[in-house]
Amino acid sequence: MRVLTSLAAVALSFAAMPVLAQDAPNDPALIARGEQIARAGDCAACHQSATKGGKTYSGGYVIASPMGGIVAPNITPSKTAGIGDWSFADFDRAMRKGLSKDGHRLYPAMPYTEYQGVSDADMRALYAYLQHGVAPVDEKAPATHLSFPFNIRALMIGWDALYLGKTAYTARPGLTPEQARGQYLVETLGHCGTCHTPRSITMASDTSQALSGGDIGGWHAPNITSDAISGIGGWSQAELVAYLKNGHVPGKGVAAGGMGEAVENSLAGMSDADLGAIASYLKVSAPVRDPKESKPAFSYTQAQPIKPSAYEPGDPHVQEKLGDGSSTDGAVLYNGACAACHGVNGKGTGDDFYAPLVGSSTTGATNPANLIMTILNGVDRRGADSRSFMPAFAPQLSDAQVAAIANHVLTRFGRPDVSVSEAMVATARAGGARPLIVTLMPWLMALAAAIVLGAGVMLARRKPA
Amino acid sequence: MAETFDADVIVVGSGALGANAAYELAKAGKSVIMLEAGERIPRWKIVENSRNSSRHFNYNAPYPDMPYAHTTYNQDYLENTGSFALRPGMLKLVGGTTWHWAAATWRYLPSDMKLKSTYGQGRDWPISYDDLEPWYQLAEEALGVVGVDAQDQSGQNGAPFPPRSKPYPLPAEGKTYMFQRVEARLSPLGFHFVHEPNARVTKPYDGRPACAGNNNCMPVCPIGAMYSGVFHADHAVAAGTKLITDATAYKLEKGEGGKIVAVNYKSSKGDDVRLTARYFVVAAHGLETPKLLLISDVANSSDQVGRNLMDHTGMGMTFLADEPVWPGRGAVQQGGIFNRRDGAHRRDYAAIKHALANNVANPFVASKLIKEGVMGPELDQRIRDEASRRVEFSTVFEMLPHAGNRVQPHPTRRDALGIPTLTVHYDVDDYVKAARPVAQADFETFAKTMGGTQVDISPGWQNRDHLMGTVIMGDNPKDSVVDGDCRTHDHPNLFLATTGVIPASGVINPTLTGVALAIRLAHTIAKEV
Repeated sequence: MRVLTSLAAVALSFAAMPVLAQDAPNDPALIARGEQIARAGDCAACHQSATKGGKTYSGGYVIASPMGGIVAPNITPSKTAGIGDWSFADFDRAMRKGLSKDGHRLYPAMPYTEYQGVSDADMRALYAYLQHGVAPVDEKAPATHLSFPFNIRALMIGWDALYLGKTAYTARPGLTPEQARGQYLVETLGHCGTCHTPRSITMASDTSQALSGGDIGGWHAPNITSDAISGIGGWSQAELVAYLKNGHVPGKGVAAGGMGEAVENSLAGMSDADLGAIASYLKVSAPVRDPKESKPAFSYTQAQPIKPSAYEPGDPHVQEKLGDGSSTDGAVLYNGACAACHGVNGKGTGDDFYAPLVGSSTTGATNPANLIMTILNGVDRRGADSRSFMPAFAPQLSDAQVAAIANHVLTRFGRPDVSVSEAMVATARAGGARPLIVTLMPWLMALAAAIVLGAGVMLARRKPA
Repeated sequence: MAETFDADVIVVGSGALGANAAYELAKAGKSVIMLEAGERIPRWKIVENSRNSSRHFNYNAPYPDMPYAHTTYNQDYLENTGSFALRPGMLKLVGGTTWHWAAATWRYLPSDMKLKSTYGQGRDWPISYDDLEPWYQLAEEALGVVGVDAQDQSGQNGAPFPPRSKPYPLPAEGKTYMFQRVEARLSPLGFHFVHEPNARVTKPYDGRPACAGNNNCMPVCPIGAMYSGVFHADHAVAAGTKLITDATAYKLEKGEGGKIVAVNYKSSKGDDVRLTARYFVVAAHGLETPKLLLISDVANSSDQVGRNLMDHTGMGMTFLADEPVWPGRGAVQQGGIFNRRDGAHRRDYAAIKHALANNVANPFVASKLIKEGVMGPELDQRIRDEASRRVEFSTVFEMLPHAGNRVQPHPTRRDALGIPTLTVHYDVDDYVKAARPVAQADFETFAKTMGGTQVDISPGWQNRDHLMGTVIMGDNPKDSVVDGDCRTHDHPNLFLATTGVIPASGVINPTLTGVALAIRLAHTIAKEV
């Protein structure tokens, strides 16, 4: 009811408010602070141009969601294509309530459930930055067209009513100032839970399992609670800071996929104090243990390489075989496709230039999703200390071959009781498993249609012949 | 009724030149079919083949030589007549011969392209350096070329040359220790060292990782840092090109108005297919392109198809320096001494390039010592010592076009598809022979200055695998095959994308020029089709 009332209030306030000077003072210090907040919020991760290297915040980038592609809008201060004519109130409402200036509902790809906890001062600084610190781009991003029923934005009224209030940030008592700052960054601007917190059947964050790991686009954002086995409890404060800043820590793991982007676009540019705050909060976050796990992912450090003599066929001079790339022998594939960088022993270069496959959170994980996705898509991550790159192998390896390599890596260098099937690779290649709601939707819609049809039949029967 | 075609453009060949042409045409929205005699083979498989080969210095060994798609190292496939056995390392698979090369990506000098008018030798190109410059830049961006902007590549130690409209796409790699040591000892004598622009990326680029110095450019880059045509074959396919593998073109058909109307290909499975298109690009390598034209009896009103064959026929020297220089670290070559790349001497004898080779020296040293009967701990000790001190120069000469140096379809031999094989006649000319003593004197100076022992100068000539001249470019249809746009004089819709069009060889590796010309001809076709 409260939601409906506020909705009515929102509807009444549609009369466009002009951008007032006091809304966004052109104050260099405030704008600079706003830029830091935009970085902490990683706005650029989504509001980037359709192709890499375009103008920042111009939008057009398609966010892959299980419901379909959601196009990030232009948030430059263009008056025609961006948010140049938005008042602070318009902006604040979009950020906290998921309502655009024209009243249409945003999809929760925009983490407004998290942003509702952003402080008023931070929100004003961010607004000042986006109004004055960013060059306007007068090119509208294309509209989002999800398929039915997700194209009905009004559906979000119900979703927002259910979840917006529940997920609001509340400061946890008893934290040190550093930990409290960390909680604020993790839960609001950093919106870490958007990926790292599992989703319920309706795609809302399951806050009872906060930060215990989530699936997104084929990747698995791992458990980053303080648990010593399933989470980051075994990482030191300094290691966590280094990971956030550089995207890799020898003996612990490397960032790829969405986390690689978060490092590159956001974390690498944040202050050491803020990264320290994030790390200190994660170290005291509520631990969540996966009962299947008995030791940390990075603790699988025993490499068991195969001797080259055990699999090399010698020099048969059989011309037909030279062109036959169909092998699904994991050892053969690993040695041809991977060992030039990661080494026959899986130890990489020792300095993380080429990552080790032993002592790695990717190869020691219970969930092999990130191993599969890394083989398929490679890595391209610019951290504060270096750029890391691995080519994508999706074009030259079949699903069965990727599975064979993954299993060789798991058996020889990682967690040997985990295995990868060809079907898992096919799913990953297609962008990951679809959430239940998407899978069920045709059935739900059929059910709804049956009900409508049934009602129609009943009505027809009541009509006189 | 409007005539229908199988494609706007058919490109024969999926190597660096054909694939770049196909990609540009597909990007421009044209329907493109690309034919390839060989197959698509994943890199990991070639790496495995290379590791398992006992013939590491046979750079073709990891690649299939099939009865329906032979490579040139097959003695039956390529017959040599003449005084020199010209035998380049041509491959047949998607991506072509740039699977193994040293990725040298030089630009010609303006004077290289006006050899006749500048020095009275050979032929002039019908186009100038300025015509080609913007296309060089596009080719460098396609390949991810690394280079030093501020250097005189003509080797005269002058201002940066030739002129560039933009900087190199990527910065050059660092100089190897060997390059530094040889340069430090020879440059005081006035020898000018030039860094070699190359297509081994120094940063991640276009899906490729940075070169890590595996020193295995030939026979295969194990990580794909070095450019290969396979990258643009894949790009072309992603842009909509239809790639047909196991498809050896054997006949171009002439129609009305001098136009080419169809290409016919055969496969190992017995397919015999005729495909029509508005335009045709033959990008089938400097030997196979003229062969296809000759067996189709097209584009040869000048009688120049297959003639004027040029390689940068070379010679080499090795010696042991008086200090360890540690060859084999980093890429297989980085440049060398370019004093004689240009100058008035080209009126009398060929331009000369002394390239410094940087292969891991152990196999050469070990095989020599074993032949000498060195055994046991002494063998280990001497391999360690001599492999650290080995210096190798790989020198090339500028060849001139001669009608008698030619490739032809073999009169009797046929491959498994019934298509004629190759026969090559090649003699080294007097222009090159006159340069040999100059190079020899340089060698002696190099060795002496570096305290060289075991000096070994190659007695004969060496292949350099740079095929030029076989479908020579010129303004006059009576003595050349294609015009300055790579369009055949005889057929307005037939273009040739091959280094075989190059009419004056200079001393630099011609692949970049070939790619620049291929991109240029694709843009010409895109405007017309």
